[in-house]
Amino acid sequence: MKQASEVQKKDTIEKVVIIGAGPAGLTAAYELSKAGLPSTVVEKDSIVGGLARTVNYNGYRFDIGGHRFFTKVSAVENMWEEVLGEDFLTCKRLSRIYYNKSFFYYPFRLPNAVLRLGIWNSFLVVASYMKSQFLPKLPEDTFDKWVSNRFGNRLYELFFKTYTEKVWGIPCSEISAEWAAQRIKGLSLMQALRNTLLKGQNSDKEAVIKTLIDSFQYPRLGPGMMWETVADSVTGNGSELLLNSDVRKIHINNGKVERIEIAQNGETKVLTGSHFISSMPMRELVEKIEPPVAEEVRLAARNLKYRDFLTVSLIIDETDLFPDNWIYIHDPDVKLGRVQNFKNWSKEMVPEKGKTCLGLEYFCFEGDGLWNMSDSDLIELGKKELEKIGLADVSLVTDGTVVRMPKAYPVYDSHYKDSLATIRSYLEGVSNLQLVGRNGMHKYNNQDHSMLTAMLAVKNILGESYDLWQVNAEQEYHEEVKAEEKASIREIESLSSTQPKVPEPIAQKAGSEADQVLVSAFASLDKFAFAVSVGIVSAIVVFIATIFLIIKGGPNVGANLGLLSQYFAGYSVSIKGALIGFAYTFFWGFIFGWLFAYLRNVSTGFFIFKIKKERELSSFRNFIDYI
Amino acid sequence: MNDRSDEEKLLQAVAMLNAKTLGFVIGALLGLAIFIATNWLVIKGPQLNQAGEYVMGPHLQLLSQFFIGYSVSFVGSLVGFVYGFAVGTISGALIGWIYNRIVIFRQKY
Repeated sequence: MKQASEVQKKDTIEKVVIIGAGPAGLTAAYELSKAGLPSTVVEKDSIVGGLARTVNYNGYRFDIGGHRFFTKVSAVENMWEEVLGEDFLTCKRLSRIYYNKSFFYYPFRLPNAVLRLGIWNSFLVVASYMKSQFLPKLPEDTFDKWVSNRFGNRLYELFFKTYTEKVWGIPCSEISAEWAAQRIKGLSLMQALRNTLLKGQNSDKEAVIKTLIDSFQYPRLGPGMMWETVADSVTGNGSELLLNSDVRKIHINNGKVERIEIAQNGETKVLTGSHFISSMPMRELVEKIEPPVAEEVRLAARNLKYRDFLTVSLIIDETDLFPDNWIYIHDPDVKLGRVQNFKNWSKEMVPEKGKTCLGLEYFCFEGDGLWNMSDSDLIELGKKELEKIGLADVSLVTDGTVVRMPKAYPVYDSHYKDSLATIRSYLEGVSNLQLVGRNGMHKYNNQDHSMLTAMLAVKNILGESYDLWQVNAEQEYHEEVKAEEKASIREIESLSSTQPKVPEPIAQKAGSEADQVLVSAFASLDKFAFAVSVGIVSAIVVFIATIFLIIKGGPNVGANLGLLSQYFAGYSVSIKGALIGFAYTFFWGFIFGWLFAYLRNVSTGFFIFKIKKERELSSFRNFIDYI
Repeated sequence: MNDRSDEEKLLQAVAMLNAKTLGFVIGALLGLAIFIATNWLVIKGPQLNQAGEYVMGPHLQLLSQFFIGYSVSFVGSLVGFVYGFAVGTISGALIGWIYNRIVIFRQKY
C-alpha cells in the first residue's frame, strides 16, 4: 500500500533541485537517486563536501577541522559503509591539551593530570570543586557559571575558558548557560539511574561498550573521499552536479518555489523543479528570495551570526612529529586553537612517508584581522606559533597553504532563537522547499544529523511527513553507545521521534514506562501522611489489644499489657485506659512514621544527588569535544 | 522526556503506596519474626526461672493472651506465623490505604 502511494507520488515529481553539495545536499541526491529520481545539485564551490570536504594540496590531503565518523543513527552508518566499503578505517584516538607549556591527555587521565598540574594545583582544583558544590554561582545564566558550578572555577579557568573563547570569539560570561546545557547533554538523569540500578545485570554488556572517546572511523582519504564517491555515484545515475554555481535568486510564487537563478562561469541559468532542498546558509537564502521577503524576516535573517574558520596547512620534513590525532591549544599566548596531524588520521593523507602535514586551525570572523591576513602572513604566523609551543622545528617547514571556511559554525547568541522562529514561520508557507544540514537550518548539527535531515527530506518528497526540526532536538546525543543499541530499534526510535503521525514507537514506550517506574521508586514519601497512617494503625492495635483483654476478663485483667503505664502515664487495661493508650500510641506512631519517611526521603535524595554529580563529572571527560 | 522534566518529575513526585503489597510485606516480616523468635527459644530449650522452675520462653508465651492457640513450641511457631502474618497484613494494608487517602486529599486541596 505504502509502495503504491510512493510510486504514485513519484509520478508527480518532475525534478528535485538541491542547493549545496555538502553532506546534507549529497545525501539527499544519493537517496533520491536510490529511489530512481534524478536531481540537480547546485554547489557554489569548486569541490564537493562542504564543511566535510578534503582539500588536496600537491597530494597532501587535509580536512577543514577533523571529521570523526560516528553516529547512533544506523541509516547514516549504513550509508557510510555502503559508500566507503573497505576504505572506511577504524582509528585509535589520541588527543592532548597544550596549556601552560605542558601537555595533558584528553580525555583526562588522572595520573597525568596530577603530574602536570602538581600536587598543590591539584589540591586547589579539588578545593575549588568542593567550593562550587557548596557555594554555586547564582543565577546560573552564563556559560562560565554553568561550567564553574559543575567542575569548579579552577578547572574552568585552566581548561575551558581560553579554548571556548577562542572557538566562539566571545567571552564565556556572554555565552548563554542554556547553550552549554543543550550542547553538553551527556547521559540523562533517568538513564544514569537506570544504569546504576542495573549495574550488576549489565556487567557483561558494559564490557562491549564502544566509545568514540577511544576510537573512531575515518575514510582512507579523508571525509572528502566519502562525498566525492557519492557525487560520482549520483552523477553516474543521471543526476546533475553543477559546481562553481552561485544561487542568485529564488523565485517564490503562490507559496511555492518556482525556479532559481544561478550564475555559473559568468552565465545565468534558470533551474525549475517540483521540489527544492536547501542546505545553503539560511541568512543567504532569505536574502535571495524574490519577491523580497517582509522586512521583519529580512532583519531576522541578518541577525543570524556565524563563526568562521581557517586552516593553515604546513608540510614539514619530519617523519613523526607527535603521536596525537589532534592537540587542543588552550594557551592564551597564541591565537592557534587546534593542531591536526592528518597523517595520524590516515597514513594516506600524506603522499611522502618522510613528511608530515599539520593543520593549524584558527577560529575567526569573516572580515576580521585574521581572516584578512594574506596567506603568506598566516603561514608565517602559523610557523611562529608552532615554534612557540614547541611542536615542530619550523626550519623543517617546506611548504604551506591556507584554506578559509566561512560560516563553519552557526552562533547561538541571545537573538538567534527569535530570529530562527521568524524565518521558520515564513518558510513554512513555502510548501515545496525543505531546509537541511547545519547552515541550512542554522543548527549545530554534526555530519550524521545533517545527513539524517536530508534522508527525511527525501522521504517527505516521497509522501511522508517528517518534522526535520526534531532531528538532534529530542534525541540524546552523546558519544558513548553500546554495540547492541545499534540495532534497528535505535533507528526506529530516532526516525519516528521526528514524525508525529507514526503511532507511539515501541522503544520509546518501553523507555517511558521504565522512567515512570523510576519516578515512582524515587518519589518522596509524604511525611505527614505516613506519620498519620502509622500513628492511627499503631493506636488501633493498642486500643484493640486493651479492649480484647477487658472482654476476655479473668482474675488479673491485662497484668502484662498494663506495664505500658510505665511509659504511658495514666494508661490501664480499662475503657478509659484504651482511649489513653490510643492517644499515646498515635503520638509515638506519628513521630516514628514522620522520622521514617524523613530519613527515607533523605537517603533517596542523597542517592539521586550522588548519581547527578557522577553524571556531571563524567561529562567532564569529553567536555571539550562538545564545544 | 527531556532531562529537565526528568529532574522536575523526580523532585516533585510524591510516592503512592501499594497497600496490598505493603500489607503483604509487613505481614510476612511480622509472621517470620514470631516464627524465628519462637523457634530460637525452642532450640535454646527451657531456662531456669527465679522460682527454680524450668520454663520455655515465659515472656513470648504472653502472646497467647492475644493469639489463641499460640505457645512457645514448634507448632506454636506456625500458629504465631499465621497470626503475625494476619495482623501485619491488615496493619500494613491499613497504613497504605490511610496514607494514600491523605496524599490524595492533600493534592486535591
